[in-house]
Amino acid sequence: MSRHAKSRNRLGSLLMYLVLIAWTAFTVFPLYWTVITSVKTPLAVNEGPFYFPFIDFKPTLDAWVGIFTREFSGDMVTRPFGNSVVVGLTSAVLAVILGSLAAYGLTRFTYRLGKIGNKDIAFWILSQRMLPPIATVIPLFIVFKTLRILDTRISLILAYTMFNLPFSVWLMRDFFASLPREVEECALVDGCTPFQVFYRIALPLSTPGLVATFIFCLIFAWNEFLFALVLTFSKGQTMPLLIAGQNFQRGPQWWDISAMALLTIFPVLLLALLVERYIVRGLTLGAVKE
Amino acid sequence: MAAQGAQPVAPLTSSQPRGGGRRLGGFIGKYGFILPTVGVILALSIYPLIYSLTLAFCSWQLTRIGGGRTFVGLANFIALMSDGRFWFSLKTTLIFVVVSVGVQYVIGLVMALILASEIRGRKFLRVLLLIPMMLTPVAIGYMWRMILNSTRGPANHFLTLVGLKPLEWLTSSDIALPSIILVDIWQWTPFFIVTLLAGIQSLPQDPYEAATIDGATGWQLFWYVTFPMLLPVSVTVIFLRAIEAFKVFDKIFVLTGGGPGMATESSTFYIYTLAFRHFNLGYASAAAYILLILIVFASTVLLNRIRRQMDVT
Repeated sequence: MSRHAKSRNRLGSLLMYLVLIAWTAFTVFPLYWTVITSVKTPLAVNEGPFYFPFIDFKPTLDAWVGIFTREFSGDMVTRPFGNSVVVGLTSAVLAVILGSLAAYGLTRFTYRLGKIGNKDIAFWILSQRMLPPIATVIPLFIVFKTLRILDTRISLILAYTMFNLPFSVWLMRDFFASLPREVEECALVDGCTPFQVFYRIALPLSTPGLVATFIFCLIFAWNEFLFALVLTFSKGQTMPLLIAGQNFQRGPQWWDISAMALLTIFPVLLLALLVERYIVRGLTLGAVKE
Repeated sequence: MAAQGAQPVAPLTSSQPRGGGRRLGGFIGKYGFILPTVGVILALSIYPLIYSLTLAFCSWQLTRIGGGRTFVGLANFIALMSDGRFWFSLKTTLIFVVVSVGVQYVIGLVMALILASEIRGRKFLRVLLLIPMMLTPVAIGYMWRMILNSTRGPANHFLTLVGLKPLEWLTSSDIALPSIILVDIWQWTPFFIVTLLAGIQSLPQDPYEAATIDGATGWQLFWYVTFPMLLPVSVTVIFLRAIEAFKVFDKIFVLTGGGPGMATESSTFYIYTLAFRHFNLGYASAAAYILLILIVFASTVLLNRIRRQMDVT
């Protein structure tokens, strides 16, 4: 019997490794393809699929030099990249400041408004995250048009702060709830105001959570497309919009687009690796714990 | 339980240290923490939503010169009822959500089970395999547009290598939606891999020991122990993902532009077209509200689940 079980086991683990290898190859291949396409000449792209640099085709940095020296849709690549950086950082900072304040309040004080309590407020905030963006982007477009802030960084900063706020509140709430209360209570007895306790004790103690929340907000803002598409069109456009706006009058310029795509995903890749530890908690809003 | 007994205790608890913060900080202090957030939500989410609710009862065509808003009552909603394109987009969205999330869950579960066993380099693999879900969707769209390109893309090259006929991945109305689902599977299966892996690793060990002593086989262990214990986490993450998938827009924008014809037009994409290509803002708002109601319904179910889980712990 043991012999039979062993051979079945071996078959099982062989199958396991096959599935693992197949899925890993499937995951990695598109990234690999984009990297090699970014170092191809137009000829190497158009002559049909080539897979191995130096063997199949001679790699060149033309596309990489090109995207930094030429204009795309009337813009140097640095402007949308700069917009993405400014909009991402500002909205993430705002979302984290507002979010950690609210999260601290919700975990430390009791709010009552008739039958509405802390949990109701927390879930009301979270429910904002679920709403379809297309429903808010139409009125925001009209409001921002009236305020004359369409196609500015401000419009996207406002939109992304709102977009990230529920996430920030919810995640920070999770972090604050796990802090020990004793120190804070002593500080209160010693005459600190709640704000001082928050600022001098709770915030420093939850620095990892704060950084993780900030990075998640930055990634979400960096990747966002629908708001950027509706609220900006030239001066204020972000990287996703620049990529999406590449019109192919002379056929797809795959080498340029690959370089731009890599330029866009490289920062998020680095950031994602930094918060890898918190990814389950972050993306399930604390509903699944590790 | 002892509800009457609890009543007189209440004032006492509020004068304990927790309530002391309230006394020291005063009224403003306590509300100062949440009011900024509540204010931002009211200004940038609730107010816009109320505004678009009023729009939903109006006709407002931005392209018409001097075209102001006119109240039309329920006309937009009545027109939507017989708008075949809207219902078709909703059907497309639902097919996308069900197939995409379903496949992602199955693959994610298999991969999570594999990664939960003693495999060399599994920490590295976990990090490597989660990469797609963090990447910019627009960039992902273009990556796959290159790969699925019918003449220069590697996908058709592979097919011909194994003796199959090349496909019109993004330009045939039968295959375009499956292609978009394929790209979504590539991006979001990692979400199920990492969340289900976390779920598996936090399961208690006792039931496994008991089942192994009773002589359960590997398959029985999975089907009678792991799977049922993983069910609560599974349902939560499926809901989370399905609600997000329901709003799909950027992949479709880049990969097919809703085409060919309307074959891959999601509801969000159709409403976007109504609002920002035809500038038919009233009608688009009405359609957006129908979508909103559907999503609110689904997310209420999810939020109640999370709430129950929170009350238990």
